Amino acid sequence: MTVPHIYRWDLDKTYLQTDFDSLGALLRTAFQRPADKTNVPGSAELLRALRVESAGRALIYFVSGSPKQMRGVLSEKLRLDGIHFDGFILKDNLGNLLKGRFRALREQVGYKLPALLAARRHAPVEARETLFGDDAERDAFTYSLYADLLARRVEPEVLEQVLDLAGVYPDGREAIYESLGELAECDPVERIIIHLDRKSPPIRFEAYGPRVVPVYNYFQAALVLFQDGRLRAEAVGRLGTALRSHYDFSLNMLLRSFQDILRRGALTYDAARRLGAQAVDTGIDPAVVELFAAEARNASVVTPAERPQRVPDYPALLKREQQRHAIEKARRKRRRRWL
Amino acid sequence: MGGDHGVGAAVRAAASVSLDRDIGVLLVGDQAEIDAELRRQRYDASYLSVHHASQAVGMCDNPRAALDAHPDASILVGARLVSEGAADALVSAGNTGASILACARHFKTLPGVPRTALAAVYPTERKRGAHHDPFALILDVGATLHCDADTLVAFAHMGSAYAARISRNPRPRVALLSNGEEANKGLPEIVAAHERLARDPHLNFVGNVEGVDLPRGKADVVVTAGFTGNVVLKMLEGISETVVDLARYAYRNKLAWRAGLWMLRGGILQLKQLTDWRQYGGAPILGFDHLFIKAHGRSSDRAIANALKVANKAVQSGLCEQIAEQLSEVGSRS
Repeated sequence: MTVPHIYRWDLDKTYLQTDFDSLGALLRTAFQRPADKTNVPGSAELLRALRVESAGRALIYFVSGSPKQMRGVLSEKLRLDGIHFDGFILKDNLGNLLKGRFRALREQVGYKLPALLAARRHAPVEARETLFGDDAERDAFTYSLYADLLARRVEPEVLEQVLDLAGVYPDGREAIYESLGELAECDPVERIIIHLDRKSPPIRFEAYGPRVVPVYNYFQAALVLFQDGRLRAEAVGRLGTALRSHYDFSLNMLLRSFQDILRRGALTYDAARRLGAQAVDTGIDPAVVELFAAEARNASVVTPAERPQRVPDYPALLKREQQRHAIEKARRKRRRRWL
Repeated sequence: MGGDHGVGAAVRAAASVSLDRDIGVLLVGDQAEIDAELRRQRYDASYLSVHHASQAVGMCDNPRAALDAHPDASILVGARLVSEGAADALVSAGNTGASILACARHFKTLPGVPRTALAAVYPTERKRGAHHDPFALILDVGATLHCDADTLVAFAHMGSAYAARISRNPRPRVALLSNGEEANKGLPEIVAAHERLARDPHLNFVGNVEGVDLPRGKADVVVTAGFTGNVVLKMLEGISETVVDLARYAYRNKLAWRAGLWMLRGGILQLKQLTDWRQYGGAPILGFDHLFIKAHGRSSDRAIANALKVANKAVQSGLCEQIAEQLSEVGSRS
């Protein structure tokens, strides 16, 4: 039996263009019909491509902070998009509210980490994973911690420190330790793709190492997945075409995105060359391929140094994230200087 | 890339403009330096790309010598890329002389343009155009120090076309800067230019204006030679900065003055905004077949971002084509 590849997706701001930055927007989102929900450009096309390219060996799971009550609407939306998923975990916000656990309504580490670990218990040990999240919450942090916990690269006292800082409730801690006790040591997470919904500076994600790749759009994600051997050149080309025909992307926007991911070192020149060679063979217009090659040549002057994958200092990272959140909140409140 | 704030200000400006998802920005300069700054910024990769240039011209370098010695200078590469169609307009806060010279090496001068002009906007009492724009245009402010009558006439047409397109002022009032309102006042080239402009049906020529008329907004486009224009512009900037400094001094030194300023804060804020040169978005070089916006050497990221927006507006409105059309009509008539 062949080993499946697991794709775990966040939903809001990763798959769907959700606005929950204000109370009004949150309410609008809650009452939206499935057909009115908008995708992040290319997210549905990429997911369908990942399913097709894996020839039935892909498992697709959603882990979302949306309330459980949204299951019907969200499942229907995915059905309308032609997405077949294998699992769907939603947050028990109502339960948290009734128990007076207000911290749990916003805090993602205490929800997503146990959920990811519990889901992993049902996967074959050899199954590799690619995770998709966004920069609105702490997906890069939670996903990286999940990966390093599975590989037993995080010391128990470090995990304890993180759980304290994140304010994880006792049942959440219990679930984490229980899953870790059950799971065999493995290192399955090969890539964490972070959709930059808030256009956070890429430097914010450098501490997580090269496994975490922040992307501005799903064309960049497709390029990285081509490099990882999860998509063929043809699928990358199809995604580019879909972005141009359905989402107002121009060829120039794709070229700039391609150059950006090369310059950031998330796509290697070697992979870019392979992509070019395969693209011509699959019938993509050679003139378009040449445009991409020219863009690669233009950006090839400075090759970014390869970064080793190290275990980040999780408590320090979480503290930094929390400080940033507090600063952003204070900035919004700050009064305008008038002189 | 350049200016007193270096690569950082230009990169921050481009990053912020890219977030508006309206303008595609091509940054030309040292890629490593650009990327080092860019990774700290919020930006949208779909609207921003980089072209590596290994050399640069310093703010104090001799323009001609620096360009000759640095063939891969960012300003030269940028001008070449615009002339090749990789971008629609060039914006720089770097060495003014080198920028103009780089444009002259790669851009073509429009037919009927004897010399190019550096134009700048300044705030006035009067509002004009569809957007009630308080800014008037003055040209030249430094590209051509001495001008003959032909050049001043061409400047009048270029300035009029710019004001019509950018300020959405369909019939801008054009004037010559002189030492008296009478037609025979001023240097011989001003008298000659006055005579020709007064007969020109394509322009709304309102005669000569004096220095005192500039802040009053008697004209929407003020035409002068580069030497005088530069002195006038710097003086206007200096006055506005001095006024703000005086207000700051008063605010710090006496409680009663502070209270008074607090009560006037709405008006002061408006005045500060109006006289803040960072709002203007740089000075266009008019007369080339491609647009060049020269941002102030002291430009912050906000000023450069505004310069990029002005460049976009000028390109969208077909400014260079409009100038060429207007000048060809003048040429065919004469």
